[in-house]
Amino acid sequence: MFAEKVIELLKEAERNPVTIDPFNDDKIRQIVEEMHSLFRMNMNDANATMENKTLWTTVQVRHSALERNKRCLLAYLYSRMVKIKTLRWEFGAILPPDVRELLSDDEYEWFSKYSTNLASYMRSLGQDIGYNGIDLTENLKPPKSLYIEVLCMADYGKLELEDGDVILLKKHSRHFLPTSECQTLIRQGILQQIT
Amino acid sequence: MFIEDIKNDFYNVLLGNRVLLLVHYDVDAICTCKILQSLFKCDNVSYTLVPVGGIAELRQAYDENNEEIKYVVLVNCGGTIDLVDILQPEEDVVFFVLDAHKPTDVCNVYSDGQVRLVYKDSEENIPNFDDIFRDDEDEENEEAENGREGLEALVERRRERRAWEERRNTLMFNYTQFSYYGKPSACVAVELAWRISRCGWAAVWAGAVAAAAQAALHTRAPAAALLDADHLTRHLPAEHTHTGSRVSLEKDVNLPLYRRWSLEGALRHAPALAPALRLHTVAGQTRLRQLLADTGIPLQQARQAYRSMDVELRRSLLTALEAAAPKHKLPDPTHTTFLLHRVHSPTLAATDIVYAIMGLIEHETLPRAEGFQYALSALDTESGDNEGRRLGWASAQRALEAVARLVHATLSARQLHLAGPFSYFIVQEGTAEASIVRGALWLGVAARWAAPASAAVLASAPAPRAPGHCLLLGVPPRYQHEPRNLFGAAFEQAATKCGASVSLDHVDTSVISLPVAQRAQFLDALTALLA
Repeated sequence: MFAEKVIELLKEAERNPVTIDPFNDDKIRQIVEEMHSLFRMNMNDANATMENKTLWTTVQVRHSALERNKRCLLAYLYSRMVKIKTLRWEFGAILPPDVRELLSDDEYEWFSKYSTNLASYMRSLGQDIGYNGIDLTENLKPPKSLYIEVLCMADYGKLELEDGDVILLKKHSRHFLPTSECQTLIRQGILQQIT
Repeated sequence: MFIEDIKNDFYNVLLGNRVLLLVHYDVDAICTCKILQSLFKCDNVSYTLVPVGGIAELRQAYDENNEEIKYVVLVNCGGTIDLVDILQPEEDVVFFVLDAHKPTDVCNVYSDGQVRLVYKDSEENIPNFDDIFRDDEDEENEEAENGREGLEALVERRRERRAWEERRNTLMFNYTQFSYYGKPSACVAVELAWRISRCGWAAVWAGAVAAAAQAALHTRAPAAALLDADHLTRHLPAEHTHTGSRVSLEKDVNLPLYRRWSLEGALRHAPALAPALRLHTVAGQTRLRQLLADTGIPLQQARQAYRSMDVELRRSLLTALEAAAPKHKLPDPTHTTFLLHRVHSPTLAATDIVYAIMGLIEHETLPRAEGFQYALSALDTESGDNEGRRLGWASAQRALEAVARLVHATLSARQLHLAGPFSYFIVQEGTAEASIVRGALWLGVAARWAAPASAAVLASAPAPRAPGHCLLLGVPPRYQHEPRNLFGAAFEQAATKCGASVSLDHVDTSVISLPVAQRAQFLDALTALLA
């Protein structure tokens, strides 16, 4: 039956709504082949039966199958595109190699273009009020405060902040720092957030 | 230089700048730090907070953190020393000093804007500038003149100069002979919070704890302490917080930690009552039982945890103790203190928090810096118990027990030696008490406990961080009424006289550390000096 393969493809993709699957190259090629053959058969019948109108129904059925295949394929590609978009927000501009493998070449190209677009947009933000850009991927929700209080858990040494200030992180000293500066150090266990 | 307007000249200057906050290890400083932290948090003033224990640590902390820092706030340290001389700062660094230790160093007072003292105490009799500083220009062109008149003028000038110097020395001696404490820094911080309309219950509570600390540690005369409390009650916010906790000034039994202890335990270890009971004697034990009998509280009830005591007994405790105390010639067992009422949680007394913080910063095992972090969290006002308070209370109970054991042992073994104008006792190294009573705070509690009426007491204990050294602190006579301490200046003079290598590193000048081997020699010199 027509359009069976494409439904299989969609069902497969639907089973995994959150993460991204490997790009199903094989199946898509089969579907495209099916579409090509449908198109050829329709061309033949349409050319042969200019006067014989009995075949018109067949042509129409084949045509709607063709259209359906096309719509389903587009839906498949679109849903993948949305997922790739979230990848950019989750992983940043550089994808880990195992995720990179799941994308087709075209998808990857789209990803890089999206990435550059987003980066240049973020750079342009807030230029009128003196900031040189805001990293939108950092906080997906507006943060409660820009600064947090942290306690230093180890002798780390000097830390240079973005604005050029140098602070000494020594065990048992407390600091009140911009949230963005501390996140990595908190993850490393050098700083501890005090709530 | 003193600041005129605490909001515009102090707080608004800090806004938008990085601030280095150097905080001394004492209850008042920690309370002040808590208030300042909450203010800085509201205004996104980024700061670095380093606790410092003495002048050497202060210098080290400043040297390590002074990069790119233009504003330094010193809490309860640095006021009594010449900051510019000791720290050698860059010209554009500004120090704001919020120090309850007095007298303030005159170089700080007359500093040209680099050192700014946040609060001016009215009690301080600071000598006038012209009386203590003088341009020495005339000395250079002294030789230029000659002839009879020139010579006469020269002699006249020299005589005048000598008179001035003499006068200066007397003035400076009068000014520096006593060390004492001024208004708690935390009360000044509450005032600041109130000026910038951010005085919440948490700030008032921190101020209340600081005020209670000065009362409990007898660092401020009772009348002055009452005035501080009065200032605080004026700043009580009108409305309740969303958590429903509030602070009130109430009459309470003057027993430390009795809400977590048993009544008998608290009575035995109360620094205000226990010395009068003389518990190291057999009669003292009887007196305690009699006191409990007079209050109508059965021993069984008095020995169990206070929170499980009969509700009726708990309610009548205050009046019963007040009625029974005069019979046994005890001092007034009540005092006015701040209480923090919390929803669904037991009430906290400011005095209890004072002991918790003391227990934390002079914990027997915890490093001081770690105790400092716990102490900050012990000041939180939200419901429930937190780790800091629990740890602090447990440690404070152990410390009070050790202090009681120590004093009883000292008194019953007649180890309180009389040396002319003062008595002294020494905590022997290696005893169980020495591992707990080793900081200045608990040693001070022990010294006041052992102090006979109207005589000065010195106490010495092995120093915690330097082997072979010991801590020596002095409690002035009649410390309850007049806490001005003469030992600061006396120690300094005795040290120069006997040539002992005394370290005057402590911010409170009545605490010094010196090598154990030189202790006897030093005490002899001190006796000779004060006799």
